Amino acid sequence: MSRATEPVAGAAGHTQSAGNHKTTYRRKRRMLAAIAAVALAGGLAACGSSTASGSSGPLVFADVAPFSGPDAALGPTYLVSCEGAANAINKAGGVLGHTISCTSADTRGDPADAVPAVGSLYSRTKNLVLVIGCTSDEAAAVVPVINSHKTVMFCMTGQSEFDHVHFGYFYRLVPPDLAESYAMTVIAKNLGYKRIALAFGNDIGSQTFVQPAQAAIAKAGMTVVANETLDLNSTTFRTEAEKIVQAHPDAIMTEALGSADPTLFAEIKQLNGGKMIPIIGTSAAISPSFFQASARAVGGADFASNFHADNLVTATSGPAYQAFTKALLAVKGKVNGAQTGDFSTYFTAPGAVHLYDGMNLAALAMIAAKSTQTAKWQPYLQTIGDGVPGAVAVNSFAQGVSELKAGKKIRYIGPGGPTSFDSFHDSPGIFQIDTYNATGTVQVSGSITAAQLRSVS
Amino acid sequence: MSILMASVGFGLITSAVLTIAAVGFTLQFAVTDVLNLAFAAVMTAGAFVAYWVNQLGASIWLGLVVAMIACSVLSVALNLGVYAPFQRRGSSPITIVIVSLGMALIIEFGIEAIVGGINVSYKMSQGGTLRSGGLILTTVQLTIIAISLVVMAGAHSLLRYTKLGKAMRATAANRSLARNCGIRTGRVITFTWALTGALCGLAGTVFAIDVGSFGPTSTDLFVVLILAAVFLGGPGHAYGAMLGAVLIGLATEVSAAYIAPDYKYVIAFVALLATLAVRPSGLLGART
Repeated sequence: MSRATEPVAGAAGHTQSAGNHKTTYRRKRRMLAAIAAVALAGGLAACGSSTASGSSGPLVFADVAPFSGPDAALGPTYLVSCEGAANAINKAGGVLGHTISCTSADTRGDPADAVPAVGSLYSRTKNLVLVIGCTSDEAAAVVPVINSHKTVMFCMTGQSEFDHVHFGYFYRLVPPDLAESYAMTVIAKNLGYKRIALAFGNDIGSQTFVQPAQAAIAKAGMTVVANETLDLNSTTFRTEAEKIVQAHPDAIMTEALGSADPTLFAEIKQLNGGKMIPIIGTSAAISPSFFQASARAVGGADFASNFHADNLVTATSGPAYQAFTKALLAVKGKVNGAQTGDFSTYFTAPGAVHLYDGMNLAALAMIAAKSTQTAKWQPYLQTIGDGVPGAVAVNSFAQGVSELKAGKKIRYIGPGGPTSFDSFHDSPGIFQIDTYNATGTVQVSGSITAAQLRSVS
Repeated sequence: MSILMASVGFGLITSAVLTIAAVGFTLQFAVTDVLNLAFAAVMTAGAFVAYWVNQLGASIWLGLVVAMIACSVLSVALNLGVYAPFQRRGSSPITIVIVSLGMALIIEFGIEAIVGGINVSYKMSQGGTLRSGGLILTTVQLTIIAISLVVMAGAHSLLRYTKLGKAMRATAANRSLARNCGIRTGRVITFTWALTGALCGLAGTVFAIDVGSFGPTSTDLFVVLILAAVFLGGPGHAYGAMLGAVLIGLATEVSAAYIAPDYKYVIAFVALLATLAVRPSGLLGART
C-alpha cells in the first residue's frame, strides 16, 4: 500500500462521510429550527397573555421583596402569608385543578438588585400568576417590569406616585405613606407630645415619610426639634443619637429598619442617662424580628412601654381572623427566615394580613372566571373585592369556593377588612394604634379616625 | 461645643474598632500579598461565633476568645484551601481580589442561610456611663478603646522586637530574598494568617459589642472603612493603618455632627481622596 493512495482513499471516504454528516446536520438544524420556532411562538404567547391556562402543574405566587439587607424581615413575613394562603387554598381543593405554590425573589431592598431578581424570576418560573410584596424599596423599579409581563401584583408599597400613575396590573391594599405620616402625627398629638424628633432611614421607603410628617407636625401645632437621616449601612448612630438627645424631644418618629432603629434606640438610651425617649413607629415596625431586635437592644419591658406604631385596622376576631390565623399556624416553623420571635405577631403584620387577602382574592377570581388566564380573571378582583348587589359575604377561600359552586355571587371580606378599589386599584384601609407587651405580643391601644387624619393633612 | 466633644468621643470608639481590623488587614496584605476582601465577612463569622457562645450562657469575653480562635482557624483554612492554590498557579493580584470578593459573599450568605436575615445582640451590660468634658463613654466602650491600645502596642512589639516580627517584615519586603536568607516564609505566612485571623475575630466581636445589634450584612460598609483606613495610612504599614483608622473614625463622627449624617462616610472618603491626591502612597507610605 503506497503512501500516495492512502490519503486519496481516505479523502474520498471522508468526503462521503462528510456529505452524510452534512445531510444529517442539515436535518438536525431544520428540526432544531422548527423546535425553536415552536418554543418561541409558545414563549411569545406566554409573554403576551401571562397565563397558566392549559399548562399543568401548580400555579405560582411569587413573593418579590427583600430577604436580605436592612429590610430583610419583610420578605419572610410575606412568605409566611403566601405559604399559609397557598396551604389553605390547596386544602380547599386548589384552583381549577391546580395547586398553588409559593416562590420568592430577593430584591435586597435595592432597585438595582430587584430588576435582575425579577428577570430571573420570570425566566425560571412556570405558571407565575401572581406577584406579592413589591415594597417601597423596589416598587418603582419592578412594578413597570411586572406590569409589562401582564402579571397581577398586590404590592406593599406606600409610595404616593402609585396614587396617580396607572399600572393596569398593580393592586394595593395599603394606604400611601403620607397617610402613615399623618397617622403617626395623630398618635403624637393624642399622646400630648409637643417636640418631635424625626429619625428616618436613608432608603426610598423611609424617606418618603419625612416631608409629609414635617408638614403634618407643623399643622398639628407641634415642633420638629431634630431631623436625622440614618444611613442604613452605618453601624452606629451615636452622634445622631446625641443630637436627638440634646434637642430634648418628647417623642421620636422613626422608620429605619434592619439594625438601624434598634442600634439608635440603644444609643439614645445610653446617652439619655439610661432612659428611653418615646418612639412612634410605622406599621413596618410591627414584625417579630423588629420587636426582637429592639427588645434585645434596650430591654423588652423598656421598649414596650415606650413604643407606639400606626397600623392598618385588621380583624382580631371573627371568622376571617380565625381562618387567617389557622392558615398561618399551619405553616409555623416551615418557612425559611420566619422562625424568630413571637409567631403571633404575623397575625397583625400588615404585609401578612393584606397580602393574604390579595392572594385569596386572586384565587377566588380565577374560580369565578373559570380561567387562570389573567385577562379573564382580573376583572373579578374588583367585583369580588368590592362586591356587587346581592353578593354573599365570605371570609375565607374555602367559603368563597363553596358559595361560587352554589352559583352565588360573593364578596370576599378577609382579615384586612372590606376593600374599595379606586381607578388606580388602590384600596386604602383605616388606621389603628398598636403597642407591644414586654414579650412582643401586639396590642391594639386605640384607633385613628378619618377626621383626625384630615385635621393634620 | 458639647456635640463636638461628644462626637470626638464617639469617633474614638469607632477608631478603636477600626484600628483592630485595619492592623489585621494591613498585616495580612503586607505579608501574604492577598488583598482579602473577605476580611469583614470573617469578622461577621467571628461575631456570630461569640454570639453562639454567649447564648450558651457564657460571658461575651469568653465568646470573644472563642471567636478569635475560630477566625484564626477559618483564615488559615481560607488561605490553604482557596488563596494559596490560586497563588501557586500564578494568578494575578486582581484575580485574587475577585476570588476574595467571592469568598466574602459565600461566607456572608452562608451565615445568612444559617441565622436568617435577622439582627441579634449579645447578652451583656454596657456598664456605667462616664461623662467628662463633653465626652460620653460607657465602661464597655472604654474597654474597647483599651483593647485597641493593647493591640497597637502588641503589633508594635511583635514587629519591632521579636524574631518572628522581623521575619514577617522581611517576608513583606521581599519574599524571595527572605527565603534565600533562610527565613521559612511558608511558615511565616501561615502564622500571619492565624494571627490576623485572630485579630479579625477580635475586631468582629468588639464591632458587634459596639454596635449593639448586628446581622449577617452588618460589616458590608465596614470593609470599605477598613480599606479607607489602610490606604489612607499607606497599605502594608501597621502604623499607617492605626493612623488611618483614627482619622477615618474621627472624620465620620465629627462630620455627622455638623453635616447631614447620612453623608458622614462621603466626607470621610472625600478626605481620603484629597489625601491620596497629595500623597498617593498614603500618609506613612514611601514617597513616590
